[in-house]
Amino acid sequence: MHKKLQKSFFGMIILGMMLMCFSIFATKADAKTYEIGTDVTYPPFEFANDNNKYVGIDIDIINAVAKEEGFKVETKQVGFNGAVQSVQSGQLDGIIAGMTITKERQAKFDFSTPYFKTGVVMAVGKNSNIKSFADLKGKRVAIKTGTAAAQYATSLKKKYGFKTATFDDSDNMYQDVLTGNSVACFEDQPVMQYAINQGMKLKIVTKAANTGWYGFAVKKGTHPELIKKFNAGFAKIKANGTYNKIVGKYLGSKLNPDLKGKTFTIGTDVTFPPFEFANANNQYIGIDIDILKNIAQEQGFKVNIKPMGFNGSLQALESGQIDGMIAGMSITPEREKKIDFSDPYFMSGVIMATSTKGKITKLSQLRGKKVAIKTGTAGAQYANSIKKKYGFKTTTFDDSNNMYQDVLTGNSAACFEDQPVMQYAIKKGTKLRIVTKPAVKAPYAFAVKKGQNKALLAAFNAGLKDLKSSGTYDDITAKYLGTTDKKVADNGQGNEDRSFVGLLKQNKDALLSGFAETMWLTVVAIIFATIFGVLVGLLGVLPNKFCNSLSSTLIYIFRGMPLLVLALFIYTGIPSLTGQKIPAFVAGVLTLTLNEGAYIAAFVKGGINAVDSGQMEAARSLGLPFGKAMRKVILPQGIKIMVPSFINQFIITLKDTSILSIIGILELTQTGKIIIARNLEGFKVWTIIAVIYLIVITLLTWLSNWVQKRTNV
Amino acid sequence: MSAKIEVKNLVKNYGSNEVLKNIDLTVDDNEVVVIIGPSGSGKSTLLRTLNKLEEPTSGTVVVDGINIADPKTDMNKVRENIGMVFQHFNLFNNLSVGDNIMLAPVELKKLDKAAANKQAKKLLETVGLADKFDATIQSLSGGQQQRVAIARALAMNPDVMLFDEPTSALDPEMVGDVLAVMKKLAKEGMTMVVVTHEMGFAKEVADRVVFVADGKILEQGTPEEMFDHPQNPRLQDFLDKVLNV
Repeated sequence: MHKKLQKSFFGMIILGMMLMCFSIFATKADAKTYEIGTDVTYPPFEFANDNNKYVGIDIDIINAVAKEEGFKVETKQVGFNGAVQSVQSGQLDGIIAGMTITKERQAKFDFSTPYFKTGVVMAVGKNSNIKSFADLKGKRVAIKTGTAAAQYATSLKKKYGFKTATFDDSDNMYQDVLTGNSVACFEDQPVMQYAINQGMKLKIVTKAANTGWYGFAVKKGTHPELIKKFNAGFAKIKANGTYNKIVGKYLGSKLNPDLKGKTFTIGTDVTFPPFEFANANNQYIGIDIDILKNIAQEQGFKVNIKPMGFNGSLQALESGQIDGMIAGMSITPEREKKIDFSDPYFMSGVIMATSTKGKITKLSQLRGKKVAIKTGTAGAQYANSIKKKYGFKTTTFDDSNNMYQDVLTGNSAACFEDQPVMQYAIKKGTKLRIVTKPAVKAPYAFAVKKGQNKALLAAFNAGLKDLKSSGTYDDITAKYLGTTDKKVADNGQGNEDRSFVGLLKQNKDALLSGFAETMWLTVVAIIFATIFGVLVGLLGVLPNKFCNSLSSTLIYIFRGMPLLVLALFIYTGIPSLTGQKIPAFVAGVLTLTLNEGAYIAAFVKGGINAVDSGQMEAARSLGLPFGKAMRKVILPQGIKIMVPSFINQFIITLKDTSILSIIGILELTQTGKIIIARNLEGFKVWTIIAVIYLIVITLLTWLSNWVQKRTNV
Repeated sequence: MSAKIEVKNLVKNYGSNEVLKNIDLTVDDNEVVVIIGPSGSGKSTLLRTLNKLEEPTSGTVVVDGINIADPKTDMNKVRENIGMVFQHFNLFNNLSVGDNIMLAPVELKKLDKAAANKQAKKLLETVGLADKFDATIQSLSGGQQQRVAIARALAMNPDVMLFDEPTSALDPEMVGDVLAVMKKLAKEGMTMVVVTHEMGFAKEVADRVVFVADGKILEQGTPEEMFDHPQNPRLQDFLDKVLNV
């Protein structure tokens, strides 16, 4: 009986598979139309327009190529991973979905010639006159925790003398620039461009750094004729200007190659592993550097590489101080207004990673499982776009490390992450593996000032093609992103001491300054909150109805608002209302003053009210004025009642400063986030941070108890 | 004898509840007036309007020729001359016995610290607590506390003393000490308004007894008139109840 059931079950499966095959053969038989998979939403490559019709660079290119070559295509918006799998299973003929050409993929796909590239950009307010990194001196720059763009900005900050404020998501980062608190932000090019297209009042002022390439693909060994046709058609649309028109339509730019050769000064980022970073010998290496050097060699020109930071390079580029820039910069339409980009040389994208111990290797295995994503990332957007299709649930984290941990502990079955970040993490020892091909691509490209150095740009493009065809390109990327075989021995960061002591030593300065900021914030906030709280509390006990209701209202508002909301409101809301900038520290102190002050006011009021009303009557009956009676009789008694509440509130204030990391204050918690974004040692770093907080709170408690004893005497 | 306190058409409402209904009362200089009456009759409220611990709803309260019902009157100045003793003593818990007495004279610059200290010690002697100068309030018995409270009120050297049921919260054996101090004060010629249930004290010390019920003064007169020949049936009923227990 049992066996019978099993048999019939298998029978049904086989029958179903046969039916599927039939239907596939059937559709192939009755039309010579190629079915091409694309992503669901990945602007500007594929997205539904207002009429719910799919448009975008990918769609337009494949259609233009098909028209050129006289074949028919039908695009299927099945999502990136859906498309990848459908192509692999033979249900679709090809994929054009902002898919980066990678070595791993080349094992399973035949790629066309690359057709697009992307990278990281700096954006400033629409009316800002910030043009180059040099303009950032003494100013503040907003970055997003754990992103390649943040690493890049951080690497530039010393050199250009700017400060960074770190945010957990793009929108808060943009807001910080919009309100003028920060003068610029760093962001992945397509994300930034998309935000700008959505109406974000920013402009991109630098060229894309850290670029990557998109290619059209078919399953390896199948449809060689389609790749041939695509390449032929693509060459034609490039030659006849259709390609430029398509890209221009979405990104507003044109590439204009011209060939020549000489010595060029090229700006790059200071530290943006694995694209550029100094090795142990203080020599600059990385994907960008290696690619550029190889191209220069092949094309017969010389380069003088200046690691002046992303913004610095960008500004130098605009001011004509350097000829070109290669700094993991993604192509964005905004940048393309000021910058001419080369063909993308690197394509970043979203991948799915799972535990090396787990069995999950496919999206289809996620059904009913939990998937970890990171707030505001392309990975998160992507995961959300396919969650219905694959029937999984998502858990959101604020930083990569927590997301990885969730997968490592088995709480989540998988996570979605930017490919280079994930690869870097894996290289750094995170026990995850990438199981899908990148989706939601961002192409990185080499950049020159718009209209300038056309020859250099053309030489780069030509050289890049050569690098790719010769396999040198793959060797370079494999060297830095390769999982096991080729390690970069002289990385310098690979053999950091990851013990607690080692981590403490490495991050001593950062932790100390974060700690100092936390303490400074706490002390200032406690002073102001106490003043504000006592004043509001006293207003509440004055024999005046107006004062009483004012006090109650203030307490009601500021105690009733979550600290996080209050911080964001003050920091981003007040400048929007008044047009007046508010420094993060001031906003932080103001937030704590209002919030903690409201609590203080409540117990000050309560403490005073707890003093027997007869005390006040007796004092007043002697002719003492209200104020004197308050000071000499009521407050000394009330304060005794309030002291434990004060101590409690001070400790809460200290802890609440951590919430202010949301507005980019570089206090202890934010410092922790940043350290973890770099070294991914979440558990250890959070342990260190937690212990520091506990020590301070213990000391504060002792001090408070001592003060309490003294006041009791 | 001139009028020290003159109350005219005094009305006090708590919301819609009329507590004092059109009260007229005069207290002469050096006079000891004892207010008696059932609980909730408004006698404490009447007393508390005399130094504006209760705000009159309407009417006038003139103390030393100053209308204290007038919002412009500086009550702090007026109160310096009106001492008050409370049912629950209301000594300042955060201060020592001596400091309780010294606080007002020093703070209001009546005396410097040394003089206030000297005066406090003298006053403590007067109320029979000379050894308690440095004691905490919490260490005193109720009767001792009330005597300190009297000393505290006297420290401002007032013309008038108001007593709001000064012995009601005391254990019976403590009552005598407090009454003795009050009698001494009366003998020295202090103008006093006393709300009390101590009929013996009223009989012995009062120049005039005022009977308050339902927010009105129903009858007033010398102790003899009031206790021996009460006219108003409410007073007769009240005395019947308090005297023939």
